Amino acid sequence: MSRDKVWTDLIAVSALESGDVTPVTLGHRELAVYDTLEGVTVSYARCTHGAANLCDGYFDGRRIECPLHQGLFDARTGQAVAAPARVALRMIEARVQDGMVQVLI
Amino acid sequence: MTEPVLTPITQALNDGVLTRAELKALMRRSDRPALIHLALWLMLLGATGTLVWASLGTLWVWPAMFVHGIVVVHFFSIQHECVHYTVFRTRWLNDLVGYICGLVIILPNRFFRYEHCDHHTYTQLTGEDPEQIPMPKTLGEYLWYISSVPYWRAKFQELGRHAAGRLTEVERGFIPKEEHHTIFLEARLMLAFYASILLACVVFDWWAPLWFWLIPLFLGEPVMRFIRMTEHVGRPAIRDMKENTRSNMVSAPMRFLCWNMNYHAEHHYASSVPYHALPRLHDKLKGYVHVEEEGYLGAHREILRHLFGGGSEGRRA
Ligand code: FES
Repeated sequence: MSRDKVWTDLIAVSALESGDVTPVTLGHRELAVYDTLEGVTVSYARCTHGAANLCDGYFDGRRIECPLHQGLFDARTGQAVAAPARVALRMIEARVQDGMVQVLI
Repeated sequence: MTEPVLTPITQALNDGVLTRAELKALMRRSDRPALIHLALWLMLLGATGTLVWASLGTLWVWPAMFVHGIVVVHFFSIQHECVHYTVFRTRWLNDLVGYICGLVIILPNRFFRYEHCDHHTYTQLTGEDPEQIPMPKTLGEYLWYISSVPYWRAKFQELGRHAAGRLTEVERGFIPKEEHHTIFLEARLMLAFYASILLACVVFDWWAPLWFWLIPLFLGEPVMRFIRMTEHVGRPAIRDMKENTRSNMVSAPMRFLCWNMNYHAEHHYASSVPYHALPRLHDKLKGYVHVEEEGYLGAHREILRHLFGGGSEGRRA
């Protein structure tokens, strides 16, 4: 039986790369934490096209560009917005609580 | 889910040759440098075009078209940067300019984008890199490649195949099914475009496109083939990016003409870094990537050394 999801501390907001994407590891999971213009969001860090690490890509506050082929994703929704990316990013529900980014996992 | 890959830039970060903050600063985008560069570059194109115009009706028109052609074939450099979205900050401007450049040099932009993605994933891996230029085995093969005949033959076959609605197995590997129709449409539109140009030439007895564009393009292409060979040919056909790609130190006018494409190893390391920041990335990666200090000629000397038996083990495609 699967256990209920719980809010788990991920990283302090003060430790985020301001206005950018920060790589964080949670157990065996590689995650990308985006400091977007509309708040903090979190996704799995690997590009759905060729599995490059998106944390090393160019982030403009809304969209994350893959460092390998420049595919583009909306970092707020995970939606793939430009080729060769086609499959949406897997997002993880996130919130900020007492200066800490938490994920529901 | 695909296995995670270690991209060259992640490798470089892990190796500590540059920090994340430095990488992020280098990746910053701006429209300004490219708009200025493009305006000056088009003025250069206008200047060499004027040479052609001034020499029309004389034998000088041939050397003039060759010089103009050297500039024309460098539309490829702009297009190459555009498919990486590293020219302009505004993403659609890269698409627009990339498509225009592709029209000029007969290289459909969408197709090139997909093909080029695999070139970056499988750089210099024989049988996997769709853009690999094979290491010539004889001087004849070397000269034949530079002549551009095999290049144009392959490009025209490719265009015809796509216009006919067909793809090779390899192409199916890097173009997703949903995009096949776009690739076919793009090839058909390109053929229609060229057919209209030729029709206009005949109907209006207006031959300017030949003198100012198409003949220079074909005359200049060997120079582009010569340059493109310097990126990987003669380097080992292995996965290690420190070895399989060559940067060439060339003069400032050449860097201007080729939009810093000579910093090829740096570009492969971090293909999201805009062209104008590549010299700064070069400073960071000094000693980490393979650099040919003697430029394009030095690279060809290396290729010819391998060709004539100076240790070509593992370098042949
Ligand atoms: S690996 Fe990300 S777009 Fe290809």
